[in-house]
Amino acid sequence: MSENSPDSSGKIGYVVLGATKAEGGTRTVSFRLGGESDLPFIGMNTGQGSIPLVAFEICDDPEYWSPIVTSYTGDLSNDAREWAGVAEKQYGADIIRLYLTSTKRRGFDNFSSITTVMEEVLSGTGLPLVVEGSNEPAIDSDVFQRCGEAGEGERLLLGTAEAGRYRSVAAAALAYHHSVLAQSPIDINLAKQLNILLREIGVKADHIMIDPYTGTLGYGFEYSYSVMERIRSAALKGDTDLAMPMITSATDSLSVKEVREADPAALEDIAVEWEFYAALSSAIAGSSVVCVRHPKTVPLLKSAFRELWAGKMPGEA
Amino acid sequence: MALKALDIYKLLPKKNCKECGDPTCLTFAMKLASGKGDLEKCPYLDPGAKNILGASTRPPIQLVKIGVGERRFAVGEEFVLFRHEKTFYHPPGIMFEVSDLWSGKEIEAVTRRVGSEHYVRVGTDLTFSGVAIRNESGDPDQFAEAVGVVEATGTHVPEVLMAHDPAVQEAGLKKCGNFRPLIYSATIDSYKPLCALAKKFGSPLVVSAKDLLSLGELTKLCNAEGINDLLLDLSFPSLREYIPAATEVRQKSILRSAPELGYPVFLDTTRYPMQDAALILGIDKYAGVIVTRALSPASSVAALTLRQNIYTDPQKPIQMNPGIYPVGNPGKESPVLLTVNFSLTYFTVQGYLESSRVPCYMFIVDTEGLSVLTAVAAGKLNEALVRDSIKKFDLEHLVSHRRLIIPGYASPLSGKIEEETGWKVLVGPRDAAEIGDYLAKEWKS
Ligand code: B12
Ligand code: SF4
Repeated sequence: MSENSPDSSGKIGYVVLGATKAEGGTRTVSFRLGGESDLPFIGMNTGQGSIPLVAFEICDDPEYWSPIVTSYTGDLSNDAREWAGVAEKQYGADIIRLYLTSTKRRGFDNFSSITTVMEEVLSGTGLPLVVEGSNEPAIDSDVFQRCGEAGEGERLLLGTAEAGRYRSVAAAALAYHHSVLAQSPIDINLAKQLNILLREIGVKADHIMIDPYTGTLGYGFEYSYSVMERIRSAALKGDTDLAMPMITSATDSLSVKEVREADPAALEDIAVEWEFYAALSSAIAGSSVVCVRHPKTVPLLKSAFRELWAGKMPGEA
Repeated sequence: MALKALDIYKLLPKKNCKECGDPTCLTFAMKLASGKGDLEKCPYLDPGAKNILGASTRPPIQLVKIGVGERRFAVGEEFVLFRHEKTFYHPPGIMFEVSDLWSGKEIEAVTRRVGSEHYVRVGTDLTFSGVAIRNESGDPDQFAEAVGVVEATGTHVPEVLMAHDPAVQEAGLKKCGNFRPLIYSATIDSYKPLCALAKKFGSPLVVSAKDLLSLGELTKLCNAEGINDLLLDLSFPSLREYIPAATEVRQKSILRSAPELGYPVFLDTTRYPMQDAALILGIDKYAGVIVTRALSPASSVAALTLRQNIYTDPQKPIQMNPGIYPVGNPGKESPVLLTVNFSLTYFTVQGYLESSRVPCYMFIVDTEGLSVLTAVAAGKLNEALVRDSIKKFDLEHLVSHRRLIIPGYASPLSGKIEEETGWKVLVGPRDAAEIGDYLAKEWKS
């Protein structure tokens, strides 16, 4: 342990994302997140756990996606399978995060299409998946059941569980051995409470990732940043209810005023920087996985992490 | 180590003469113990005691002022490792680099940009902080000339003079030494002449060394030369050394376990392949002065916004005074739009209202600085608050109609507000960007 750590005895627990053939799935890689026993990017050789990873976010119905992204990707975003493959091979993402935006359509009830999309994306990429199910409590149970089933054996991260709405996600995760993404609105006590609720219904600590909710730069980031720091510090001081790795996504980045109203010639660059500044800062505050939507943000983050990283790379013992 | 008030008291003259501005020596001692007093205020302190108290009663991180006049800024005087423990007070100065190998025009352009470029966010003017003039020619006259070009713009922005050679440094200082430029940088080999220059011109000084241990040694040597306004150069060869080093400096200085490291941090991001990443590190983690190449328009807004975010108090949202704010020249028939007193919300909505060109009243209620959604979720925005605020700000006499436009996100409250106030409630759009269209379509007076 380095001298820099707070009076610490705690350590972030592990969560495994994805399962390779040897682990019972079909992914080409899997990641073991967590293990940090020091502040982010400190404790060079000892307390560093694993390098932060970059998840690229895609969706199955681009109507609900930022035009800044869809105008960049063109037709690609109409085909989740291909999009996932390109995100892996061309953008260089570590993880794919799939949003089932199709379920936002009024009266959505085509549940078998979820199975289809899941299968397509799983065949389009060998990377571990994070899956965002429905936005509508009434269909949660059907949607998560389908996601969980289609991804059986793949060790997905299923989201999103919230305090008032976690049973369906958790049930699907438990039934098919996935992990749960637990989101609370920028509050350390609520984060802790949700983790306790999840544990009470049987989700194990090593199957939970904390999403502290990330307001983007200028729109709540000042709170999100500190909540991440608080969660990480509490965990290092020994609070096991908060000792899970964090995942953050500043999804508002592409829709805030500064980006939306930017000069068209500079719009893309501003969008990318807005994501980059929020995502790198989130990792500095303790996030193990940062999620972004603009393809150009991915390589920027990857090289920044490589430049800052002194600890082990994924796969190293 | 930090001294307790009683230990300090023992070293004071105990005259209780009040000349320090405190009623007793003991209260003065308590102030010193908390890092908020100034030793110099007691005229009777003997030199021995002053020496002992000096290092342990100044703020754990020295306050260093750079530049003069309106654009001057101060760094240091921070007290915590994490901003949630209190807040961070002194945002880092971001200085754009120019080189004495450049043409006068190029130097002038960057300087003028720093002088005039600003972004208004949440009612605050955000600017870059100054210009860093780098000596690459090795020539004192050429350096002085470059400094002269910066000065001649009349922008009065703070400067960093980046020249290791004391002779070159002196040539630059002769041009701008009256304006408290930051001198970069003293090493173990050059600290004596550079300290002499710092003293002569009253300038703060950056010290550079290969690691924290040697930096600490060097600050002690500079102190012995009479220089206390120092910054520590943490631009080590690899960027991955920055966070550990800056954290160690912050931690040891606030614990006062290494007073020789109790100075603000200097970071030269131009050394690293990923300048933006280095800049983000500096802003998030404790830098006091950051040198960058002039930022692209995209990075500019992001960097200034991040700096504003990290240096706001995480416990206290920036708030507006509740009340009625006219936009344009509204009259008795003009629309009234309800919103909350979170300043970000206010300025966002106000911006769109201004561009809609519909004169109207913004009716700001006191949600203790919470945004619309947050205030609704927390129950702070409710019908009773709206009713009381209508009374308090005498809305009934201001307009002749009885219609209130509420934010889209407050729609669950519309029925209750109608019942409670007797006003007709119109639910506006969720996104303020659509207010213009909404008013054009829906508002008929
Ligand atoms: C930052 C933030 C916080 C900060 C507070 C910031 C603040 N000063 O309000 C903190 C961390 C303290 C916080 C706390 C809470 N939060 Co909060 N928070 C946010 C976050 C990330 C951003 C809010 C923000 O700054 N928005 C920007 C401002 C400008 O938006 P706005 O005020 O709504 O204004 C816009 C529109 O409403 C419109 N508008 C405004 N006025 C008007 C007027 C008219 C007439 C019209 C037409 C339009 C209009 O224009 C603006 C721009 O489009 C949001 C998520 C989000 N994306 O909104 C969650 C969010 C609002 N919070 C949420 C919750 C639940 C809470 C808490 C209750 C939970 C908790 N953590 O304890 C607390 C409550 C506070 C309390 N009890 O003290 C939930 C609300 C859920 C819901 N839908 O009801 C959200 C949506 C997060 C989530 N998805 O779970 N929060
Ligand atoms: S000026 Fe000095 S001697 Fe006089 S009251 Fe203050 S501390 Fe005591």
